[in-house]
Amino acid sequence: MSAAAPVPAGAAGRTYRPGRTAILIGATIMAAVLAAAVLAPVLAPHDPYAQSIATRFRPPSAEHWLGTDGFGRDTFSRILYGLRVTLLTAFASTSLALVAGTALGIMSGYYGGTLDRWISAANDLLMSFPQMVAGIIMVALLGPGVTNLILAIAITAFPAFYRMARSAALALRGRDYIDACRVLGYSDGRIMLRHILPETMDDMIVVGTLWLATAVRTESSLAFIGLGAPPPAATLGGLVREGFDNLLEYPGLAIWPSLMILLIMIGLNLIGDGLRDSNDPRASA
Amino acid sequence: MSVLHIDDLRTSLTLNGRQHHAVREVNFRIEEGETVAVVGESGCGKSMLAMSIMGLLPSIAVVTDGHVVLEGKPIERESERQMEAIRGARIGMIFQEPMTALNPVLTVGEQIAEPLRDHLGLSRSEARRRAIALMERVRIPSAASRYDSYPHEFSGGMRQRVVIALAIACGPRLLIADEPTTALDVTVQRQILDLLDMLQDDGRMAMMLITHNLGIVAAHADRVVVMYGGDMVESAPVRALFRNPAHPYSRALLASLPRVDRDLSELASIPGRVPPLTRLPDGCRFIDRCPHAMKICQALPPRVPVADDAEHEVRCWLHVEGSGRDASAG
Repeated sequence: MSAAAPVPAGAAGRTYRPGRTAILIGATIMAAVLAAAVLAPVLAPHDPYAQSIATRFRPPSAEHWLGTDGFGRDTFSRILYGLRVTLLTAFASTSLALVAGTALGIMSGYYGGTLDRWISAANDLLMSFPQMVAGIIMVALLGPGVTNLILAIAITAFPAFYRMARSAALALRGRDYIDACRVLGYSDGRIMLRHILPETMDDMIVVGTLWLATAVRTESSLAFIGLGAPPPAATLGGLVREGFDNLLEYPGLAIWPSLMILLIMIGLNLIGDGLRDSNDPRASA
Repeated sequence: MSVLHIDDLRTSLTLNGRQHHAVREVNFRIEEGETVAVVGESGCGKSMLAMSIMGLLPSIAVVTDGHVVLEGKPIERESERQMEAIRGARIGMIFQEPMTALNPVLTVGEQIAEPLRDHLGLSRSEARRRAIALMERVRIPSAASRYDSYPHEFSGGMRQRVVIALAIACGPRLLIADEPTTALDVTVQRQILDLLDMLQDDGRMAMMLITHNLGIVAAHADRVVVMYGGDMVESAPVRALFRNPAHPYSRALLASLPRVDRDLSELASIPGRVPPLTRLPDGCRFIDRCPHAMKICQALPPRVPVADDAEHEVRCWLHVEGSGRDASAG
C-alpha cells in the first residue's frame, strides 16, 4: 500500500480513542478466563468429577485451594471445568444467533415486502417473551442436553441480532451506491454479501460481545433453576446451584462460581461498551 | 441497427389503486456513436424512462406497453437474471451524485475491479490490471498508486471519473448518463463531458444524456428528445431544435435560456408549473401552460414531422393540418 494509508474519516492526527482502556481491561480479563478454560485439564489440581466421602466440605487449603463440595470434589477444579461448558455454550449460542440473525435481518431489510413482514412478525412474537421465560420455554420444548441448551439460548438471542441487521440493511438499501450496484448488474446475493454485510459487522460485533455476556447469564440462570446441562457436568450456574443448598454453612461453594460469572460479565461488558464507544462517531467528536 | 430503440414505451405508476402514465408513448432511437440528449424539467419522466430501460423500476411502476429494444432484441420482459447480465455489461449508467455513488468502505480500485470480476469473470490480478487501465483511461492521475485509495480521498470530479470507469468497465454499447454533471462545479463539468465525448469516440458507444442544461445539449448532443409530463413532445437533431423549435414547450424552454449577448433585467420563465402525476391531463399535457392551447388539445396529439424533416418530430396539434390553426402560428 502507498504512503497514504487509509485513515478513518475524522481520526487523523488524534491519538485519543474512546473506549480503548475499557477494551484493554476487558480483553485482559477475558484472555485470562479463556486461557483458564482452555487449559483447565492442565491447571486443575484434581479430577473435577472424583468424589470422596473423606474430603467432604473441606475449607480452602493448600491441597484444595477453594475447598471441596458435599461430594468431596475440588471446587477450584470444578470451576475451571464449569467455565469450559459455560463459555462453550455462550460462544456457540451467540455465534449461532449472530449468523442466523444477521442473515435473516439483512434479507428482511433488503428485500422488504412479504418476506420481511413474516420474519418480523415471528421475531416480534419471540421478543414478546422476557428473555428468561423464552429460555425456559425453549429448554422445556427441546429437552435437556448441552446441544439443546445452546439452541435454546441462541433462539432467545436471535431477536437482538435480527433487529440490528434488519435496520442496518434498511438504512443501507436506500443509499445511492446500493442503487449503483444494481445498475451495475450485481445480483442481490452479491449486493448483500459484499456491500451490506461488511457495513453491519461493526454493530453486530458490539451486540455480539454484549450478548455473549447475556448468554453466560442465561446459561447460569437456566442451570440455577435446574434447566442447564445435566449433572454431573459442571457449569458455573450449576455450581452456584449446588452451593446454594449449603449456603449458610459453606457460603464459598456458591460464592466462588458466582464471582467467576461476575468476572466474565465485567470483562465482556467492558469490551462491548468499549467497542461501541470507539465505533460511535459522535463519541469521538 | 440502432443500439437502442425505444418503441412506444409506456410506464405506469399505481398510486392509491389508480394507474398514472409516468412515461407515455415515448419513441426514439440511438445509433452507434450517437449522443441523444433527453431534456425536460424535474418530474417530466426522464429518470423514469432511464429506469424503464434498465429494468429497475420501483415496485409500484411497470412498463405497460411498448418495447425497449437493445441491439435489435426487446429486453423489457427479460428475466431478472438476464437483466443482471445486461446491466453493467451492455448498458452502463452514471448518476448525478458522485459523492454518494461509491461504497465508502471499499477502495476505488476494488470497486472498479468488481464488475470485471462479476461480468467478465476475470481473475483478481487480471481485474486489477484492467481496473488500473480504466482509471488511466478516465484520466485519473497516477492511477496505479490510487488503486488502494478510498472514495473519501477523492474530489467530486475524481469520484465522477471513478463512477464513469465503473460504468464503462465492461465495454457497454449504451451509456445512460443521468445528469452526470449537475452536482459538479462548472469547470469540472466541462472536463467530465469532454471525457465522455472522448470515451464515446474510442468505442463507438451510444449515449443517452439526461440533462436539463440546454448548454450541455448544444455542445455535446447529436439529437435531442424534449420531454414534458411523461410525453416526448419533440425529437430533433440539435441544430434543428435550436433553430426551429416546433413545440410551444420547446420554444418556451429555449426562450428561458439567459443569453450573454442580451441585456438581462429579468429571467424569462414559463408560467404555471408541471401538473402532479395524479392530475395529468389526458390530452396534451402542456395544455394548462400553453399560450396556443385549443379545444382539440384535450385529445392526445399525434406525432408529426416538422418541415418535412423525417428527423424532426413534434407531438402537437399546431402542426397538424386542418386542426384549427396553421403550423407557423405562434
